[in-house]
Amino acid sequence: MRDKVLAAPKDLDPLSVEPPRLEDALSRRINADPESVERGLVQLVLTIVELLRQLMERQALRRIDAGSLTEEQVERLGTTFMELDRRMEELRDEFGLDVEDLNLDLGPLGRLL
Amino acid sequence: MIRLIAITDDASMPPAPLHAVGCGRLTAICAPVDEHSGGADSLWRHEELVESLMETRDLLPVRFGTQLADDEAVAQAVGARGGQLAQRLELVRGAVELALRVDERGAAEPPLTGAATGTEYMQLQADRVRNGRMIHDELAALARETTMLPGPELLRAAYLVERSNVDAFVARVRKLQEANPELVLICTGPWPPYSFADEERA
Repeated sequence: MRDKVLAAPKDLDPLSVEPPRLEDALSRRINADPESVERGLVQLVLTIVELLRQLMERQALRRIDAGSLTEEQVERLGTTFMELDRRMEELRDEFGLDVEDLNLDLGPLGRLL
Repeated sequence: MIRLIAITDDASMPPAPLHAVGCGRLTAICAPVDEHSGGADSLWRHEELVESLMETRDLLPVRFGTQLADDEAVAQAVGARGGQLAQRLELVRGAVELALRVDERGAAEPPLTGAATGTEYMQLQADRVRNGRMIHDELAALARETTMLPGPELLRAAYLVERSNVDAFVARVRKLQEANPELVLICTGPWPPYSFADEERA
């Protein structure tokens, strides 16, 4: 893998930036014991919340770009997204989930986020 | 069962234990089923196989784990999509895939929650999008085709780059890195054109 790195900052080990997730990806199966069912459900719910959050945020950025929002509206939107972002981070931590976990591979349709 | 490794229009014999299955104008390169398949090791073996084939021929890599009953099933499956595959093969001819990830330095987690006000948060978000877009546009100029991939980073993208252009592309990445010391740019490759082999993904 290391010889595949063509360019990376000299002071950084490129492989330390993203821990190897290959084993994770290959072993990600639904395990039907009660505890992991709960975690799986939380993962699914958070994934959908995260999808909506990102879609709304993108839409808000577009509207700011278009200049169709007042300063007050921008501030209110920003505060809401920031709060949501913070809360999502807390929930991820609580359930031991990673940013990457809140994504679904939809097969031929690609990834959700 | 046999494994489907790659689609090419080069009719030369692949090295054993691989074998070629003629599918009209195209050739499917197949391998015996890997008994220890499923783990990360077999994925890397698959990758090495495709890369060694790629050294001598233009090809479309087949998604890891694709298995079919026998040569006849392969000829049928590939033949049915012959036109489409031939078109894709033309697109990737003479080119390799380079992957790029860009993120803010020290950003294991998005640092945006550090914003003091809602307006600042939105401003930071807009800057992130703009930074990623700027880097993507500059590199896209050196690529035959590009695709942005989903991910939590500032930018995650794949570029289909002509073999003769790889050095220039990497030099441009280094220059962008120098110009943007607050970012981390990681470029890997050359890879088989995974992100450009399927219509749906490209």
